[in-house]
Amino acid sequence: MTKKGLTALSLVSLAACLAAPVLRFLGKISPESYKLIFLAASVGWFVFATLWARRR
Amino acid sequence: MAGRLASIASQMDKLYEFDREPVSLDKLQSGGKFAGLFAGEHVAATEFVIGAFFVLHGVTAKDLLVGLLVGNLLAILSWTFICAPIAVRTRLTLYWYLRKIAGPGLTIVYNLANAVLYCILAGAMIAVSATAVGLAFRIKTPALNAVFPSSIGWVLLTIIIGGLFTSLAILGFEKLSRFAEVCSPWIFIVFIAGALAVLPRLGVRADFSNFWEIATTKIWNGIPVAGQDRFSLWHIMFFAWFCNLAMHIGLSDLAIFRYAKKWTYGLYTAFGMYPGHMLAWICSGIMVAAVGREMNPGLMAYESAGLAGVAGLLLAGWTTANPTLYRAGLALQTITPNWPRWKVTLAAGAITTGLSCFPVFFVKLLDYVAIYGLVLMPMGAIVFAEHWVFPRLRIESFSAEKRGWAFNWTALGVWVGTLALCFLMPIHLYFRWLPGYFIALVAYVLLSLGRKS
Repeated sequence: MTKKGLTALSLVSLAACLAAPVLRFLGKISPESYKLIFLAASVGWFVFATLWARRR
Repeated sequence: MAGRLASIASQMDKLYEFDREPVSLDKLQSGGKFAGLFAGEHVAATEFVIGAFFVLHGVTAKDLLVGLLVGNLLAILSWTFICAPIAVRTRLTLYWYLRKIAGPGLTIVYNLANAVLYCILAGAMIAVSATAVGLAFRIKTPALNAVFPSSIGWVLLTIIIGGLFTSLAILGFEKLSRFAEVCSPWIFIVFIAGALAVLPRLGVRADFSNFWEIATTKIWNGIPVAGQDRFSLWHIMFFAWFCNLAMHIGLSDLAIFRYAKKWTYGLYTAFGMYPGHMLAWICSGIMVAAVGREMNPGLMAYESAGLAGVAGLLLAGWTTANPTLYRAGLALQTITPNWPRWKVTLAAGAITTGLSCFPVFFVKLLDYVAIYGLVLMPMGAIVFAEHWVFPRLRIESFSAEKRGWAFNWTALGVWVGTLALCFLMPIHLYFRWLPGYFIALVAYVLLSLGRKS
């Protein structure tokens, strides 16, 4: 994957990390769904951001 | 195997060859690096504890906000106007600069004290991380008045986590520091997400219309929990200012700012102070209120962000313990000049792990932070006097180096005397360092003037 692609995916993951608690705060998702989405987005951040950092 | 070990040890030694000499101009770093460094370093596991303790100490919401705004500004200004200018003029770590001023003997004493204090701080971070892992094994978090470990499970847990942190620091400090850069933005998000997600549990409406009401009645309501004294605006302001006292006024961050191109790079500490020492503390306050004001960082992280929160707490502990171990290693290096880097880190890690077993450093973290800064502060005043005041008063600087003294007895007397006076001051522990700093500064200048005459 290109460096730009990794950057984009890292940022999308981080945005998802932020979106999950916002949705929970607005009452759109349950606490369990929030924790699951936050965990999945966090894994995404670590995978893509680590790969991006290695290419830097 | 032995050859490979020798090769790794030799490579690690080379990594730190600049510790003992002024940094060369080609090694200077950009401002962005400083912003990233401070942003990462000041969003640590201890932030989960500090912000929560403010709630337990019954601070009001208004006092908290004003105190954090002003206190953090004072900390930034201390880095910018006191620490960074000396760093860019000398390009030396405090330890090597102090050796010229205080002499090698006193530097050894100072470094020993410094290394132990750093180890205690890293130990507290390990203990905070242990509360996260302890949740999975049902190991009880120590009570607020605990001094000694209450269970064998707690001891084993801290030893395992401490051993892991130390091993990682030995195996590849530089690579891990780069991984820590990846962690930093995410750890900050964990604080924000955790606080935001538990707001509905506290009764905050989706339009934020009653946030201030909830903040002032359910979070920072001005009522301390049993056994904790009540904090005012001044406690918060001074805490935010002295939280990194050893680093700015105490000049330990000469080690970092010696890589700065300009002294104004001190302002980059704002990237650590306001997100870390303001927003993260506010977030952890919200999280502790949501778990019924129970001081259990692991539970706070799990309840507010699930498994990711627990991972966040562990990583926050590790990413901050890692540079703290590095600093402790730097401090020990002057005492053990022939030791390779890995051995120094191992020694620092072993001390840190041992100390992390004692919950007192974690449950009394706020007081420990105050004592930690206070103990090292007089040496910052002495270095400041030698660097800025002595040339203006035509007092001989670096007497210890020029005359070959092992001990600068004036500096030792001022250090010990200032601490003794601070101990006797009839004011709260948090406020003692400020008069203490001026006492040390004036006493050292006057005694040196007397010696000159």
